[in-house]
Amino acid sequence: MNEDFLTPDADLLEMLDGVFSSYREAHAPLAGRLTLDREFWAELDELGLVRLTGAEDKGGSGASWVEGRALVEAAVRHGVRVPAAENDLLAGWVRDAIGIDGVDAVSNAVSTVAIVDGNGVAKNVPWAGEADTIVVVWLVDEGYLAAEVPAARVRLTPGENMLGEPRDTIAVELDSIIGSPVAAETVAELRRRSALVRAVQVSAALECSLDLALEYVPVRVQFGRPIAKLQAVQNLLADIATETSLARSSTDSAFTKALVEGWSAEGLDFLVAVARSCAGHAASVVVRNAHQVFGAVGTTREHRLHEYTRAALAWRGEYGAVRSWDLQVSAAARNAGPGGLWALIAR
Amino acid sequence: MSGTANIMPPASLITDAEMELRAEVRAFLAEQRAGGRRVWAVDSWLSSWDEDFSRELAARGWVGMTVPVEYGGRGRTFKERFAVVEELLAVGAPVAAHWIADRQIAPSLLKFGTEEQKRAYLPRIAAGESYWGIGMSEPNSGSDLASVRTRADRVDGGWTITGSKVWTSGAHRAHAFIVLARSAPLDTDARHAGLSQFIVELAQDGVEVRPIVSMNGDQHFNEVFLDGVFVPDSRVFGEIGRGWQQVTSELGFERSGPERVLSTFPLLTEIVQNVAEGRLDLDADLGRLVARVTGLHQMSMAVSGALQRGESADVSAAVVKVMGTTTEGDVADYADLLLGDGSDVTSELTRLTTRAVDQRPGFTLRGGTSEVLRGVIARGMGLR
Ligand SMILES: Cc1cc2nc3c(=O)[nH]c(=O)nc-3n(C[C@H](O)[C@H](O)[C@H](O)COP(=O)(O)OP(=O)(O)OC[C@H]3O[C@@H](n4cnc5c(N)ncnc54)[C@H](O)[C@@H]3O)c2cc1C
Repeated sequence: MNEDFLTPDADLLEMLDGVFSSYREAHAPLAGRLTLDREFWAELDELGLVRLTGAEDKGGSGASWVEGRALVEAAVRHGVRVPAAENDLLAGWVRDAIGIDGVDAVSNAVSTVAIVDGNGVAKNVPWAGEADTIVVVWLVDEGYLAAEVPAARVRLTPGENMLGEPRDTIAVELDSIIGSPVAAETVAELRRRSALVRAVQVSAALECSLDLALEYVPVRVQFGRPIAKLQAVQNLLADIATETSLARSSTDSAFTKALVEGWSAEGLDFLVAVARSCAGHAASVVVRNAHQVFGAVGTTREHRLHEYTRAALAWRGEYGAVRSWDLQVSAAARNAGPGGLWALIAR
Repeated sequence: MSGTANIMPPASLITDAEMELRAEVRAFLAEQRAGGRRVWAVDSWLSSWDEDFSRELAARGWVGMTVPVEYGGRGRTFKERFAVVEELLAVGAPVAAHWIADRQIAPSLLKFGTEEQKRAYLPRIAAGESYWGIGMSEPNSGSDLASVRTRADRVDGGWTITGSKVWTSGAHRAHAFIVLARSAPLDTDARHAGLSQFIVELAQDGVEVRPIVSMNGDQHFNEVFLDGVFVPDSRVFGEIGRGWQQVTSELGFERSGPERVLSTFPLLTEIVQNVAEGRLDLDADLGRLVARVTGLHQMSMAVSGALQRGESADVSAAVVKVMGTTTEGDVADYADLLLGDGSDVTSELTRLTTRAVDQRPGFTLRGGTSEVLRGVIARGMGLR
């Protein structure tokens, strides 16, 4: 099988690194609730990054999720918080999949997506307060409906995750909007994509923690030698590397399966749950060990470590707590039937 | 720029062709299990010795798979062997008899053996009839393998070997092993020089195998005494003086396989069975373990993909072994925490758990301890 298409374009990677690093150099991250820098968003739009994976005939750049993932990872690496994944990989995808026309807004409008309950309420909707439109999905007797709603028509109660990223509660008057029907499978796909986006972000944050630690230990000298030479410190790093590898491999496997066999591939739900469980538990070890390696300086606002460690902790519980993913894996194992456990894992 | 991006090879999915091969093996194993005459066990690759089964597998082409056809093998790929081996381990099939020969002796012979040695040994290994041990550890040389004291002295037409090897798995039933010995005096500035490997048949004069009884009363490993054993030049393995490089390569084969993840998989299956029958509650910790085992399967697939492409995988294999052996031990402990005098679980679960708990300490020792492997990972990241 030729899997070259799984490697993102090198020029794009370089461009992404350039864009995010220069933005980061000019803009130190702020504390408190984050807002979206519209100027930067406009810059991303000019570069074709705001709807990177959208179809070209719908104003997108026609890239694949491989590139979409690379963008999300670059943002993590440089500690730049933007709703790129929510806007492009989730809201943008679902809008195009359903065929609803975007609200006639400017091309660089910011969108997010929410699955609301029967009362039109959804909690922890990422970036809702900063969005121009929200793609709302809800269930009625006949099945799922969706509509893209201007943010102004949504009642919003602000909330944030521990990074300060908006995670708002929204309430929509469902009676006042007309929805287009959505296949249940499309909603299932949306859930898979959402969950996997967070696994990608957690894995990237863990890798960055490892990289930072690897840069630090050869230069930090105690007892007359670099702490890199202490076996106890080496063990901390070896375990960071091991857990990070698990997070990456399990995320990669689900991702690769989705790209090769499609987002409705049999067994993908299981692989997504596995990735979320593995990445979630990996974060426990990586965060603990990375902070241990850095000593006191790693606990300061000024140091960059928290941009990765706190991010990993914040994201690992979004679109489902780690424990809920563990339980989903348990249930899949039980339901696999006698002798079915291995067939569930190796297929 | 990313540290782990360099450690772990990219994900490798099971291809349709591999899936077909796996299905064949599964069908065969299901048939065998229905027949009920074999023991299905945890840690079966170390301790479930069944020569008939080894020959049956070989007859189906599942032993010596990567050995070229001209040496009696099947000329299959590394990844195909990986698929078959995973299937066998997942059910705890009795594969111990041919395990070491198939896993590390055959590929080492192909890499370092003479033409005559390949012709002499490979066809019988691939037939599931030739069983081997590993002659590395000694009473005073465990992790520090370069310190071996077994001596090889030059004599007319060959070498004589004197010393003792220990923890030699299966030596009481195997036919031969490859002995690591010092063939030149120790140079403390170049400890890895002056080591060589020799093929010793266990029935030879001067070889004495003494059983070592494990803590649960079983016997799977031995001490092997070598008292002036004569090894002709034709049974020198590889090059004199290159023993360290060769043994490192052999350890590469020994460390990178799925047996470093799956030793307790039959127990995990039985736990799930008990949950499905309502004998045990479903909890999140079980999911965490199943997820980890799945992630480890994916990591070992990635490693085997790299080996297939001829890339070096020492560090990624060490990563899998450290986490895999810990996790397979965690499965044993998870089960043990569930069992008590009030539990209503299957007797099979009790049997497998007891066995797994007894075998567990060995998981993170054999083939290089976790502590030593963390050192390998640290070195791979440039810290040593
Ligand atoms: C079930 C089983 C089967 C085996 N089969 C075989 C076989 O067939 N053939 C064979 O040759 N050998 C075999 N072995 C032996 C195995 O390879 C050794 O047990 C292993 O290499 C460790 O050596 P040791 O037991 O002497 O422990 P030691 O090396 O004495 O280690 C004791 C402790 O010290 C730690 N330690 C040692 N050095 C370091 C270091 N540099 N840094 C940090 N910690 C360190 C170890 O990690 C360990 O925790 C087998 C072992 C087991 C358990």
